[in-house]
Amino acid sequence: MSKELRFLIVDDFSTMRRIVRNLLKESGYADADEAEDGVVALQKLRNSNFDFVVSDINMPNMNGFQLLAEIKKDDKLKHLPVLMVTAEARKEDIVMAAQQGAAGYIVKPFTKATLEDKVNHILTKAGLK
Amino acid sequence: MSTSSSTSLASSPLAPLVEVHQQLGALTRQLHDSLNGLGLTEKVKDWAGELPDAKSRLSYIARLTGEAAEKVLNQVDQAKAEHDGIASEARRMAGLLAQDPSAAVPRAEVLQFIQIVEQAGQKLDGHLTEIMMAQDFHDLTGQVIAKVVNLAATIEEQLVLLLIQTAPPDAAIKPPTPHEAYVPALDGPVVNAEGNPDVVTDQSQVDDLLASLGF
Repeated sequence: MSKELRFLIVDDFSTMRRIVRNLLKESGYADADEAEDGVVALQKLRNSNFDFVVSDINMPNMNGFQLLAEIKKDDKLKHLPVLMVTAEARKEDIVMAAQQGAAGYIVKPFTKATLEDKVNHILTKAGLK
Repeated sequence: MSTSSSTSLASSPLAPLVEVHQQLGALTRQLHDSLNGLGLTEKVKDWAGELPDAKSRLSYIARLTGEAAEKVLNQVDQAKAEHDGIASEARRMAGLLAQDPSAAVPRAEVLQFIQIVEQAGQKLDGHLTEIMMAQDFHDLTGQVIAKVVNLAATIEEQLVLLLIQTAPPDAAIKPPTPHEAYVPALDGPVVNAEGNPDVVTDQSQVDDLLASLGF
């Protein structure tokens, strides 16, 4: 059952973390934790089990690209789908995210339907739904 | 400089570089004199003094908008929880009425009422979701404000350095300490995307770009 999936929401703005968390809950994914940057996210990913990462890019300490790179070079984490949700709208950033292994890319501001569609699409593709 | 050495320097391959260096020196001197002559040192001092105030004002805006967004989200959370309770109770009542074979007329009216409550509840939930989504402005404007604060800090440093360079020898001006503000390495929200082919303006363009790459 997809409702048992555990999400990690990574964003330096608490407002955005709450919005994404509430939207995931409305879409049936109530099990979520939060991290304010890539460093905290990586610690949580290594110390606990998650099925899906929703990450911002522009963050202090460790940005979303660096987090994505760390996840993809870690044998225990590299299978995790990472959905980038960011205000970075440069085409080269989108291409870079895709090349680094991001499962999806959403530009802010976004709608509930967009987040729901991308998450469901990625979960289906990954065989998690 | 003797005439013979001037002649030898002028014929040397380094002559153009020396000339450029002399021109740069003259320009720097001219700028220095202009700043002092026009009383700009004082103006620069004023500008540098105003920048920390501008930074604190922007930080104030960022803090207040953040607090407002959190307050709205708290209220939305509570309203959604109460709405969930009403919807759940309405469903329970409808179930009970369906089990009772008597009182057909009042039951029909109550069922209609429950239907109205459920429909209104769905609309209300949609409105609350939209209110919640609107709070994303805090993230987006916050990123822009952070960049402007960072820019102001950099300008402040440069102005103080300029002050030091143009100050009289006996003036006591404290050298700037490098600001420790978070420096985003990325661009953040696109404030004006018009005519910029390097950025996307909506999600459909992101999807098209990724599709063109085979993702």
